[in-house]
Amino acid sequence: MTSLEYGLWSIPVLLLLIFLRMPIGLAMFVIGVAGTSLVTGSTVPALAQLKSLVYSTFSNYSLSIVPLFLLMGQFATRGGMSRALFRAAETFVGHRRGGVAMAAVAACGGFGAICGSSLATAATMGQVALPEMRRAGYSGALSTACLAAGGTLGILIPPSVVLVIYAILTEQNIAKLFMAAFVPGILAAAGYMLTVSLYVRFRPDSAGHRERAPWSERIAALVGVWPVLLIFIAVIGGIYSGVFTPTEGAAVGAAGTGLVALWKGGLDRKGLVDSFLSTAASTGMIFFIVLGATVYNGFLAFSQLPQQSAAYVAGLGLSPWLVLILILVCYLIFGCIMDSLSMILLTIPIFFPIVSALDFGLPPEEFALWFGIIVLIVVEVGLITPPVGMNLFVINSMAPDIPLSQTFRGVMPFIASDILRVAILVLFPSLTLFLVRWLY
Amino acid sequence: MRQTVEKALTTVSGWFAIAGGAVLVAITAMTVVSITGRELNWLGLAPVPGDYELVEAGTAFAIFAFLPWCQMKRGHVTVDLFLARFGPRVNAAVDVVSNILMTAVAALIAWRLWLGMLDKKAYHETTFILQFPLWWAYAAAMTGAVLFAVVCLYTIWRSLAEAMQPTRQSPQHQES
Repeated sequence: MTSLEYGLWSIPVLLLLIFLRMPIGLAMFVIGVAGTSLVTGSTVPALAQLKSLVYSTFSNYSLSIVPLFLLMGQFATRGGMSRALFRAAETFVGHRRGGVAMAAVAACGGFGAICGSSLATAATMGQVALPEMRRAGYSGALSTACLAAGGTLGILIPPSVVLVIYAILTEQNIAKLFMAAFVPGILAAAGYMLTVSLYVRFRPDSAGHRERAPWSERIAALVGVWPVLLIFIAVIGGIYSGVFTPTEGAAVGAAGTGLVALWKGGLDRKGLVDSFLSTAASTGMIFFIVLGATVYNGFLAFSQLPQQSAAYVAGLGLSPWLVLILILVCYLIFGCIMDSLSMILLTIPIFFPIVSALDFGLPPEEFALWFGIIVLIVVEVGLITPPVGMNLFVINSMAPDIPLSQTFRGVMPFIASDILRVAILVLFPSLTLFLVRWLY
Repeated sequence: MRQTVEKALTTVSGWFAIAGGAVLVAITAMTVVSITGRELNWLGLAPVPGDYELVEAGTAFAIFAFLPWCQMKRGHVTVDLFLARFGPRVNAAVDVVSNILMTAVAALIAWRLWLGMLDKKAYHETTFILQFPLWWAYAAAMTGAVLFAVVCLYTIWRSLAEAMQPTRQSPQHQES
């Protein structure tokens, strides 16, 4: 077989192993090492690169942002910030029709601004907002669905772990990507709130009623949010303005949320140990996939598959927009069975050269930012699509009385809102890009 | 017997994870001090010398120290959709195969890391600013890599025991 054929055959073999429930990082690692050995005709190059590759992957300065963001999220969950955010949002909109659900979405967005992970956002906000919504008389389907959807704001609104990985894979500027994600993130939150409001219009019995909160209470609740605001402005402002690198920003954020958690009494001995253990589990999981993907992508580069497939697709003369839509549909389908990070790590090295070779009327850098944000959104849809949308399970496990099928049904309008938003962002690239253009 | 080993390895992996977390906190504190020093340069303060190198060495240690805990807690991402209907025994049997491969990979990583460390030592490679020998950082990472291989080896045993025991419920995969 030629190198290219090895590269092509590696894809179905990899998918087979993954579908046989082998850990994704392990499957990529094994196939990467085996493939490199086959292509080069000996095991020497693969073994030689492993001497320094593992250490250099784990000590990569840009990647060190990931454990720091995860630690920041852990501290944020222990600092009572989720409760403060929800209280503040609820006093303002809770009395409207569907208001408590809207408040939950808004609070998810606020929490997403200091947390880079969707699962953590869904889990944390679920603990706070789910009991409140049930108490206010909201239906099980709406309560779980709006929190599962709101949880995806954790990654859509910067900081975002998946964007960091995309930035490293495509050699883009993390600060610019964070900035590009900002408007689409706000749009996502607004879209979910609109969805809630339409949902309760068609199903009036799914929402309960709350009294309007007096202004004194609103101001008091708003004051409780200042740590979140301060940390967000320090971290994102510092990264955008170039005062510090994204990794340093993550450290500042971890320090900030850690101090708040300490002050609120959430970081006693047990709280600290628990946040270390959770950080360890998710960091270990992420870096093992990153390691597997690094080895596998090294093999793909050897096999010339990414360059060859890019040249092949460009030679077909298809409309660039058709190719883009096909790729996005591909992500939507795979998102139903795979997690977002693995999908990004697996597909970007192949898809990115393909789409980069096509002409969308954008300069290369702007195209990379725009494509990154759109891919981020479509892979995040995978978190709320049945049958294996992780956010649905996280939230549903907190409400044992609500059948999973109700959550599945309830989330459909939110998926529709996601797809509509993707269409809008694809049609109007400047929605994503104008902030970057304006600030740089 | 297996319960004793399970407990002991959980405790040791837990300590490694906590040590890794403590190193992350140290990195955090050092970075904040360094930024403060850099921004308040006009007051005569200065950034921590070699702060990037410390972040890199520290993160590498932390991540190697996290891997055993992740493996112990079944934290790796899998696609459960297609095998879910085959029941706990088939799944445990698949786990046996996965864990054998995982052990091979973990042993390979530890072995190559060891040789990498000897290389760095032989060539007297040091970091750019602080000039500390790079093999120190490799040696610190080595501890986590060895424990990772040991834990992987144990998980073969664990999944074998689960495959042999048809009555027991298949363990829920921890998602984090």
